[in-house]
Amino acid sequence: MTSEVPFRFERAPGLPGSDAASRVFLGLGRPLTRILWKLEVTGMEHVPAEGPAIICPNHLSFCDSVFVPASLPRRSWAIGKAEYMDSLSTKYLFPALGMIPVDRSGGKKSAAALDAAADVLDAGHLFMIYPEGTRSRDGDLHKGRTGAARLAMRCDAPIIPVGHQGTLDVQPPGQLRMSPFKTVSVNIGAPMRVSDFGRPGDPRVYRTMIDAVMFEIARLSGQTYVNTYAGSKAEAQTEVATLPTPPSQEVAVAPTKPPGRMSRPSPLVDVTAADSAVSG
Amino acid sequence: MDSGEGQAGIGANLASIIEGHPGDAIALIEDDVRITYGELRARVVGWRARLASLGVTRGSRVVLAAGNEVAFVEAALATLGLGAVAAPINPYSPAPEAQRKVASVSPDLVVIGDVAARLREPDTFDVPVLYASSDGVPESAGTEAPGIVDTAPGDVAFLLSTSGVSGAAKIAMLTHQGMGWVQQSLCGDGPQQLRADDTTLAVLPVAHILGLNVALLATLRAGACAVLQRRFDSEQSLALIAEHGITMVIGAPPMWHQWAVGAGADDAMASVRLARSGAAALRPATADRLQTRFGINVVQGYGLTETSSVVTTGRGVDAPATSAGRPLADIALVVVDDDGVPVDVGDVGEVVVRTPGAFAGYLDDPESTAMVLTDDGWLWTGDLGVVDDSGFLHLVDRVKDIVIVSGFNVYPAEVEEVLMEFPGVRAAVVVGRAHGVTGETVVAHIAGEVDTDELDEWMRSQLSTYKCPTAYHLVDEIPTTSAGKALRRELRA
Repeated sequence: MTSEVPFRFERAPGLPGSDAASRVFLGLGRPLTRILWKLEVTGMEHVPAEGPAIICPNHLSFCDSVFVPASLPRRSWAIGKAEYMDSLSTKYLFPALGMIPVDRSGGKKSAAALDAAADVLDAGHLFMIYPEGTRSRDGDLHKGRTGAARLAMRCDAPIIPVGHQGTLDVQPPGQLRMSPFKTVSVNIGAPMRVSDFGRPGDPRVYRTMIDAVMFEIARLSGQTYVNTYAGSKAEAQTEVATLPTPPSQEVAVAPTKPPGRMSRPSPLVDVTAADSAVSG
Repeated sequence: MDSGEGQAGIGANLASIIEGHPGDAIALIEDDVRITYGELRARVVGWRARLASLGVTRGSRVVLAAGNEVAFVEAALATLGLGAVAAPINPYSPAPEAQRKVASVSPDLVVIGDVAARLREPDTFDVPVLYASSDGVPESAGTEAPGIVDTAPGDVAFLLSTSGVSGAAKIAMLTHQGMGWVQQSLCGDGPQQLRADDTTLAVLPVAHILGLNVALLATLRAGACAVLQRRFDSEQSLALIAEHGITMVIGAPPMWHQWAVGAGADDAMASVRLARSGAAALRPATADRLQTRFGINVVQGYGLTETSSVVTTGRGVDAPATSAGRPLADIALVVVDDDGVPVDVGDVGEVVVRTPGAFAGYLDDPESTAMVLTDDGWLWTGDLGVVDDSGFLHLVDRVKDIVIVSGFNVYPAEVEEVLMEFPGVRAAVVVGRAHGVTGETVVAHIAGEVDTDELDEWMRSQLSTYKCPTAYHLVDEIPTTSAGKALRRELRA
């Protein structure tokens, strides 16, 4: 565990936040974060010194987008709403923090977001994406969307799972400012490679990999996993750094679910003691 | 569908699929017996007379306890021609099982073929029986044969048992229209279609939808020739393929595996232009081996009894090896989540289809029917799959087989595939078991000679912890159905 995070300001021509002002923001902001809060980081060695990687944290508070990047030894980028560029209070700060503005009003917003993310990774940088797509309102870890795994495949980049605790105390939902002097712990997991989850070109890899990523995040954050998406899709699209979702399937009329149909039989209720044949 | 569709139209009686083909073209080959379409039509007329003399008429039910033999084909076509319903059952069943199947259908007649030797004891069934043989048409005692009756779109042609791997077996009602639509989708002039100059190996059991509607009936609709093989024997199949210049081979993955590794000439499949696999996923290693040994590219498909067989096929498209292809034209397919909402492209969900081949429901079981078939025509398959960016379907597992560990879905097929890679594992089946902490836990049943500690170590190096079995049971054999599917229900007990 360390509170001292060595940091390298990567030059990234063509990406937001490459200017001198951003360098000043980050140069001041990172030490300030450690003065105002107790930031405990484990697993820093898992972040590669160079080359692309996809940072996948759990998402509980708006300020996750401050503490997770501040825990990394390198800069990271993420997708944000283009509207942030219209507001004077955010148009300089957010790009410095690595926000790539993407216009989400158009029909090809998800493709544009994926392309923007791929640009970051293809240039050999870190890209951060919340696999849940939106903040968890109930504190549980929710089902991951497959976009991060698609990016991992497309850009041949590892996914680094991250689980953190404490950001909800710093900034609960609805609170505009971040309460100082609290502890935030950020646990960084080992890189996961898409090639370990199936044959290239097999689309089943996406779900397999992202489920494994969520399992690692749950271990790192201590959250309980629930196999449903956080929030609604509408909510997800108003978030900063949301996961770009692939295009929906084109269905003229969606099927109705047969009334009373179970997805699968309910889990068995009788609790079995440890099996005598258990090994390992 | 009105009569304007014509004799070969979708609404027509399936019995008419043998009409219109040249009389001297060979329709069926069984051992040394060759039957032309002309002869087949005449023999089916004789069969209609015989069945009519026994009281079979529109709406009657006739159980066909016959296998891949000429008598099955003739009895089935005659039954349909009379407007009656044909119910094929496994002719190799022990008598008690056959009696249960017959009772569940309450037929007016049971036709017993040559292969059903175990069912030929007198008084096996408490309904009238007719012993049939491929040698000739049963005597009809002078009754004049009725013509082929017209059928309406919803009229039932076949009653077919579904596998009943988990939960009680059900009987699907398959219509003339639905079965005929699938046949028409497979026949035609295209390079991937069945044509009159094709010869098909009909070795898949005719009591299975794929053997019945694709290997046998689609072949007859095309005016092609079906070579009947009564029971699967890998070496004999290869000999038949070479002897008859067979062009279309359709099999289940265990058959393809045997053809890949079994005895026989490496050039035995030189004449094959259509190689099809269905009923379950073909292992990529098997497909590779078939490509190497015979130079054939086995095309996979996906279908159900409830869809009259084919839903998707990899024919004619450059489908990835792990895919089941794309839906047939006019089939809508969508992958949905637990709430019925379409999932993102590339994500896992239940496969839901709307197809002209859909069945009419389960016999005497409206509740089960309502669980899978909705009023708006969507059929909930119970299969989990992924549709990729190019529209190819990739199957994952059965919905009901999912094991939920700490909230995470574990798909047994994925775990079983990894287990099978471990040296010494002959067969592996994974099921869920209740667990006090994680809700459920993964339990593996293994047939083979393995050290379970070493196996466990290997599994943990290959899969996320929650997918790794917490118990390994070594068994002599994995219990399976006659179709070769594992009986998970028995292993869960």
